[in-house]
Amino acid sequence: MTDTTTISPMARLAAPLLRFRQWQASGVFLALVLLVLALSLATPNFLTPYNLSVVARQASFVGLVALGQTLVLLIGGIDLSVGAAAGLSAIIGSLMLTSGGIHPYAVLPLTAAFGLGLGLINGFFVATLRLNPFIVTLASWEIFAGLTLVVTEGYPIRPLGEQFRVFGQGSVYGVPVPVLIFIAAGALLAYVLRMTRFGRDIYAVGGNREAATLVGIRAARVEFMVFGLAGLFAALAGILYASRMDSGQPSVGEGWLMGAITAAIIGGTSLRGGQGTIAGTILGALLMAVLGNGIVLLNVSGFWERVIIGIVVLVAILVDLFRRK
Amino acid sequence: MSAPVLAAVDLAKRFGPVRALAQVSLGIKRGEILAIVGENGAGKSTLVNIVCGRLRPDAGTLMLDGQAVQFRSTVDAQRAAIAIAPQEIHLVPALSVAENILLGTQTHDGLGRIDWPATRRRAQAVLALLDDGIDLDLPAGQLSKPQQQLVQIARAAATAARILIFDEPTAALTDREAAKLFRFIKAFRERGGAVFYISHRLDEVRNLADRIVVMRDGQVVAELDSKTTTKAEMVRHMAGQEMQVAERAARSQAGAETVLAVNGLTRAGEFQDVSFDLRKGEVLGIAGLVGSGRTELGRCLFGATRRQAGTVELFGQPFAPRHPAEAIARGFVYLPEERKQDGIFPLLSIAENMTLPSHRDFTAVLGLRFADMARAVERCVREARIKIGSPRDPITTLSGGNQQKVIIARWLMRQSHVLFLDEPTRGIDVNAKAEIQRQLAALTDAGLSIIYVSSELQDILDIADRILVLHEGRVKGTVDAQGATQESLLRLAMS
Repeated sequence: MTDTTTISPMARLAAPLLRFRQWQASGVFLALVLLVLALSLATPNFLTPYNLSVVARQASFVGLVALGQTLVLLIGGIDLSVGAAAGLSAIIGSLMLTSGGIHPYAVLPLTAAFGLGLGLINGFFVATLRLNPFIVTLASWEIFAGLTLVVTEGYPIRPLGEQFRVFGQGSVYGVPVPVLIFIAAGALLAYVLRMTRFGRDIYAVGGNREAATLVGIRAARVEFMVFGLAGLFAALAGILYASRMDSGQPSVGEGWLMGAITAAIIGGTSLRGGQGTIAGTILGALLMAVLGNGIVLLNVSGFWERVIIGIVVLVAILVDLFRRK
Repeated sequence: MSAPVLAAVDLAKRFGPVRALAQVSLGIKRGEILAIVGENGAGKSTLVNIVCGRLRPDAGTLMLDGQAVQFRSTVDAQRAAIAIAPQEIHLVPALSVAENILLGTQTHDGLGRIDWPATRRRAQAVLALLDDGIDLDLPAGQLSKPQQQLVQIARAAATAARILIFDEPTAALTDREAAKLFRFIKAFRERGGAVFYISHRLDEVRNLADRIVVMRDGQVVAELDSKTTTKAEMVRHMAGQEMQVAERAARSQAGAETVLAVNGLTRAGEFQDVSFDLRKGEVLGIAGLVGSGRTELGRCLFGATRRQAGTVELFGQPFAPRHPAEAIARGFVYLPEERKQDGIFPLLSIAENMTLPSHRDFTAVLGLRFADMARAVERCVREARIKIGSPRDPITTLSGGNQQKVIIARWLMRQSHVLFLDEPTRGIDVNAKAEIQRQLAALTDAGLSIIYVSSELQDILDIADRILVLHEGRVKGTVDAQGATQESLLRLAMS
């Protein structure tokens, strides 16, 4: 503490530090830095370009789903159907290639549009009819997952072709394409949330829906769009994963739901709505991927991964609890 | 003189840098009603929270029957036969009235099985002391707000308490229910009970209490005898200076342009056949207690609910918004009664709380123009004299009065023509209230028209030009504020 009127060097240093402490994602950022440092020292293979690109690509699929889930959590909702929507969209996208004869470059946007449609179905029930999002998306989860099996009869759809593989397997200057798409989508969303009316409306509706309505925000419209976007990002992740595997497998998206919610929560998004950042979610997704990677590199049994992630989630909410006090 | 049943000796409590209580000493005897009055932030709630075990004092002692006691929790206070009827309603909506009254103290046998008939009988006995018109078997959530408040009071009464604490019990009650409550409190006093009674309603306090303690800045500044004191004397002690009552002479806008014309507006169960005019630059007061339909009327005009019959014209054009957004676009804005619940965005900054409804005015191709918004916020903060640190601080760092100024400023940032203010000064200290009223008066001089709803008649008399009296959903009449008195308004309402 200083009582001089001129700004001392200490104070000048303290201001950014204080801002960092107040940043909701500072905890997950520190955890990620520490984990990366520890793994770099403990294993020779972690800090190699190849391994890092594997980790980043791993993070980008669940990460994309988590971006959409973050929006839904911000408005105080939840979308349990994202994994199944990713799977169904991946299958539909794959069919566009194998049976539809659609140009590989057009498949990506078309699949995203399909996912948007799936999400808007959820949005209709939740926003327009004001039904509970947990129950609505529990039902649509079953429906989407069931439709995937109906369409595929359990068999993968493959091959998807040389030209299409570039989206999942290609890289630009050593950075995998899915990672580029993940980062671009994240940057765009962060901008929208911070700088546009739609973004601020999301925080307003999530923070106090009634007050938002009374200042003239059409809350139902915002909710409708947000569920649509959750479907869109899930579909994007699903079709990229299919491209990576060169195969539309019925199992695409299994396990992504929990991964997406976990990434958002580790990143500081509140389940009560109105609080959370895209940066936090991206860091959360990275942290989970690095953890999984570390377990492999350290030769720990893979069965431990879920135990460790569960502990990380508990630690994350405890850190949040103490910071609030 | 009998010894006090409960006494506070030199209680002190700080919250960080804020001194909430300092050297507070007072005692209450059996069979006494002690009223505590004071502005918001005077320390009433802190004192009460210490007495009922929710807070622990930094210094000082509580004496129960002459013995020093330390309450570590509310359970300790309950064991000492102290019960509180809190201001907010905490009932379990899906459970029956009877079960709510005896929640946690249901009659049961050795195995923990509840004896429902006995439980119901006990609940009935307690509730009969307050209001025998409430159905014991109805889920509490289906009762009206005033009835819920009575059930909540019944819950406190159902304990074997010797000391009851009431925190603003009549805030949500109509006169009829309040009268029932007063009867109960007086009967409790006859049985030897002691009552702490906290209220902003000074007339009520004077009629009910035996003694009145005035608090200011965490201290007891006066002890008054309710038989001899006057309202002016209480207010003087509360404010610490001669209060400046808004000295706005009611003006007649008889010749001015009609801005809003409401005709036969109806929503069954809320309000019936409501008609009135609002003129340019006028403050139309709506006097009516809780349950008069005033809030429902505002929400309906604003487009938050749909009307069932009637027409509304704004500047001569039909006005039937289907969403608040449409009303706002036409310059009709509404400030909700429940500031915390419906008014503010607790997670957002002061600046954003102020600019949210104006975002459409600050859009550019690539998003919002934050620099322009910051300038607009600065201007509003200066003009409305809102005391803030930085506009980027969360709105929850502000006092209630300053929060209210922020969300009023929200509507002044846009060009609004009609302002519907629902209890804009409720829960706000006397000085902030006077200042808000002064600013509103200035706005009407600039051509704004205001509908001002309040359940405090004096409040309305201070600011309104004309007063519409609403009672149980019906317009009882419209009178000029000039010459009207609290009594004449009440007479009109009850006619």
